[in-house]
Amino acid sequence: MNEERVAEVLAVHAEGLIGRPEAIQQIHVTDEERGRLAPLFQLAERLHQHMQPVHPSATFARNLGQELVNNAKRQIMLTKRLRRATLIGAAALGSLLSIASVVGAIIFVIVRLRERTHARAIQAPTG
Amino acid sequence: MHEESDSALIARAKEDPEVFGLLYERYVGNIYNYIYYRTGNHHDAEDLTARTFYRALKHISRYEDRGAPFSAYLYRIAHNVVANWHRDHSRRQIIPFDNLVIMTLERDEPAAAAEVKDEQEVLLQAVRRLPPERQQLLILKFVEQMSNAEIAEVMERTEGAIKSLYHRTLVTLRKELTNEENGREETTGRTSDE
Repeated sequence: MNEERVAEVLAVHAEGLIGRPEAIQQIHVTDEERGRLAPLFQLAERLHQHMQPVHPSATFARNLGQELVNNAKRQIMLTKRLRRATLIGAAALGSLLSIASVVGAIIFVIVRLRERTHARAIQAPTG
Repeated sequence: MHEESDSALIARAKEDPEVFGLLYERYVGNIYNYIYYRTGNHHDAEDLTARTFYRALKHISRYEDRGAPFSAYLYRIAHNVVANWHRDHSRRQIIPFDNLVIMTLERDEPAAAAEVKDEQEVLLQAVRRLPPERQQLLILKFVEQMSNAEIAEVMERTEGAIKSLYHRTLVTLRKELTNEENGREETTGRTSDE
């Protein structure tokens, strides 16, 4: 009996334990296989018997749910605020840049005009 | 009634906090079960369940849907939270499974109940000594009653790999239990000889 076959038989046995008996009908398990795998089948049955679902207490589940929703509200509010602050910051920065570029352009024009006036003054014949 | 998919809920949860509550309600039981069987007591199970969901909430805005179920993401967080807990409590005493309802016990005799409870504790403690992924496999299979295909999705492996892991897990667990039984018999024999 190869390892793959053993894994397959154990898997369908487990599926049968958890309420899917149709799985075991899909493969034919011989009596010899059943005999050889009996200890592992029994162990799986013990696990199935003792590993039953447990439930959190209703108070705990309710309180935690409420805390999480409140926390989520705060988190979303913070994200929105951060997004708004980023937007305002970007807009302010944009405005500053445009003002700076206008001021720069004015300074540039003034400097160029001064230079031109100065050059003309030098070129003009004296006396 | 048609149940909204996880993907749709996650997308909405990023904008609407109440929706995270729906995801929580859908999975709190599963995560609690997983953590309970990994830690062995309700107190820590509650604490670590809360940590798991807080961590999921913190990262929900960055969650990317890659086709795996949302539960896989939550189990991964729970797995890490439990691993940290084990690291922090590495020198703690082993706490027995408390308040566990023996649902299958139909008899009323106290002696029989004690025997079953003892057997259960021995078995579950042996399960807790297995590597984390093997514990997860047994919890998903027997507690959550998932099919191999569903387990494969959550554990991000192939169905064949899950079957093979299940086989190896049963073999290891059986050896562990047999060694323990032999050890106990030897101790009992030695005590009675004295």
